[in-house]
Amino acid sequence: MDHHQRWRPTVNEREFIERALQSDLRVDGRRPFDFRRLKILFGREDGSAEVQLGDTRVMGYATAQLVQPYKDRPNEGTLAIFTEFSPMADPAFEPGRPGESAIELGRVVDRGLRWWSPEIAVWESRAVDMESLCVVAGKHVWSVRVDLHILDNGGNLIDAANIAALAALSTFRRPECTVGGEDGQQVTVHDPEVRDPLPLTIHHLPIAVTFAYFGEGNIMVIDPTYKEEAVMGGRMTATINSNGDVCSIQKAGGEGVMSSVIMQCLRIASVKAADITSKIKNEVNSYTSAKALQKVKRLPASALKKDNAPDVAMKEGSDVALETQSTKASSDGQQINKEPPSVVKDNKQEDVEPMLTECNPEAQSESRLTAGESDEKQEVISPKSLKDAVKPKHKRKKKQHKNS
Amino acid sequence: MDSRKPPPSALVDNHVVPGDVVLDLAEMTNQTIKLGAGLRQDCDTIQATSAGRLRLSKPNKYWVESSQKRYVPSVEDAVLGVVVDTKPDNFLVDIKGPSLAFLPVLAFEGGTRRNIPKFEIGTLIYARVVKANSIMNPELSCMDATGKAAEFGQLKDGYMFDTSTGLSRMLLSSPTCPVLEALGKKLSFEIAVGLNGRVWVNAPSPSNVIVVSNAIIKSESLSGIGQRSMVESLLERLS
Repeated sequence: MDHHQRWRPTVNEREFIERALQSDLRVDGRRPFDFRRLKILFGREDGSAEVQLGDTRVMGYATAQLVQPYKDRPNEGTLAIFTEFSPMADPAFEPGRPGESAIELGRVVDRGLRWWSPEIAVWESRAVDMESLCVVAGKHVWSVRVDLHILDNGGNLIDAANIAALAALSTFRRPECTVGGEDGQQVTVHDPEVRDPLPLTIHHLPIAVTFAYFGEGNIMVIDPTYKEEAVMGGRMTATINSNGDVCSIQKAGGEGVMSSVIMQCLRIASVKAADITSKIKNEVNSYTSAKALQKVKRLPASALKKDNAPDVAMKEGSDVALETQSTKASSDGQQINKEPPSVVKDNKQEDVEPMLTECNPEAQSESRLTAGESDEKQEVISPKSLKDAVKPKHKRKKKQHKNS
Repeated sequence: MDSRKPPPSALVDNHVVPGDVVLDLAEMTNQTIKLGAGLRQDCDTIQATSAGRLRLSKPNKYWVESSQKRYVPSVEDAVLGVVVDTKPDNFLVDIKGPSLAFLPVLAFEGGTRRNIPKFEIGTLIYARVVKANSIMNPELSCMDATGKAAEFGQLKDGYMFDTSTGLSRMLLSSPTCPVLEALGKKLSFEIAVGLNGRVWVNAPSPSNVIVVSNAIIKSESLSGIGQRSMVESLLERLS
């Protein structure tokens, strides 16, 4: 009696949904080409956004890390999307060994997400400027990572996840870094308190719009719900930006669709994409202006802090670097591709630049000043900091408190 | 002593959370009280084990009423189940509980080996819980206690949707809850409410079914007046 399988509608629901659609009615009272209510919320950290599309909830979280670029693209940063399906979102998503139907669903959705909405849509259509993420060509580039957590599956995860990724990327700020030193290869990552972190360069927002087909492909609706997804005969997702450029189309299995229908879908999608783009932009703007206001108010406190910052920050800085390494090492198991693990070793060997901190949520909240100004200082401090790293975390925090 | 009013437990009709002491038995002597769902005795106290609203049915029945997505089967509840499998002796029915329920193939009015009903997977059934305990799968029946069909059985057509158990209890409350009363004045529809948080609605036209089901879903967090005005605005949009 396996409860963990894809939810199947009752005969009554299936028949009713199809019958109602024949007279252009949808069970939640929408018209065929209405989106559900879209709500975008932002977290306290930059680069985190939660999207609610009706009952569907997806959280996006963007982080960045300095890594070595790919050999064939030495002056481009990278962008990777990771998805997380929690069984809390849908009983069909199982942790550990998933059931047959859960695999099927997971694959379809996962392929949908990584193959096209976020990865291809954002990456191949070059929504995010990758060249501006380069710090030292061939050596250090920013690797941006977006984690998408499915919090509740109310249908149409693709569109919600796509909006979450875009909202997270739009509010994401990476620490500013400068290149200096004698050899001109030394990277200094500046504390966000000292120099304002920089936003990504985003050229356009590719919006995913999903259509569900019923009957023999002659009835179609936009933004299907969980129930409609269980009943539909086929689905197509078009990724399109507000200029009407089609970034990608995904049609996986199901009923065949006439090309004229696809053209009609694209026309509808471009209208919807413009709506959603302006919604995202408005939300992002109000978030950033609220954030800017906060900063103005906080200024005196941060100015006060600066006086005795360097001493503490040096230690903290190296701590953070160590932490970064450990988190990286642990996360490497999950990361299927991309980041060459050699980067970790690299950092250990070259004491010169252990300061390649990433935009780790923990690291960011702590006050730190990235050092690396002089090599000697680094070496003096490094044994101490190693000890610090061994100490349990709560002790470290106390010490920091005392010092500051 | 007996004439003393039963200590009314200050928490009646208030929200309780697990661990709240609802009654102190040391203060009550020679009294019988009956405990329902969500309460247990711990030495001299009665404590809540689930979060919800404490109810008292005079003179002495106490229970905790909560609203959940998951249903805990209890005997004599009318539920809406979905057939997920058929076995020679039983239909396996999903009633949103921790385990699937058994519906014996003979538990129909006049049921014999010869006239076993044929239910395909996904059939919606209105049934009654006849056995419910923690170690066995619950058992359903499509007969009332006297062996009559009494409205139980397969539900055809219409539309089924999920609600919380609290909402389905509200729909079944008497006097009729405001949302159903307001809807019933303007529209004609059939409704079957299962205490397991499932509601089935049927009406001649699909648009009426959609209006009724959306009105019910929206009424979850509304007061009586709010429900009436919400129904009115929905009906206005319809016409």
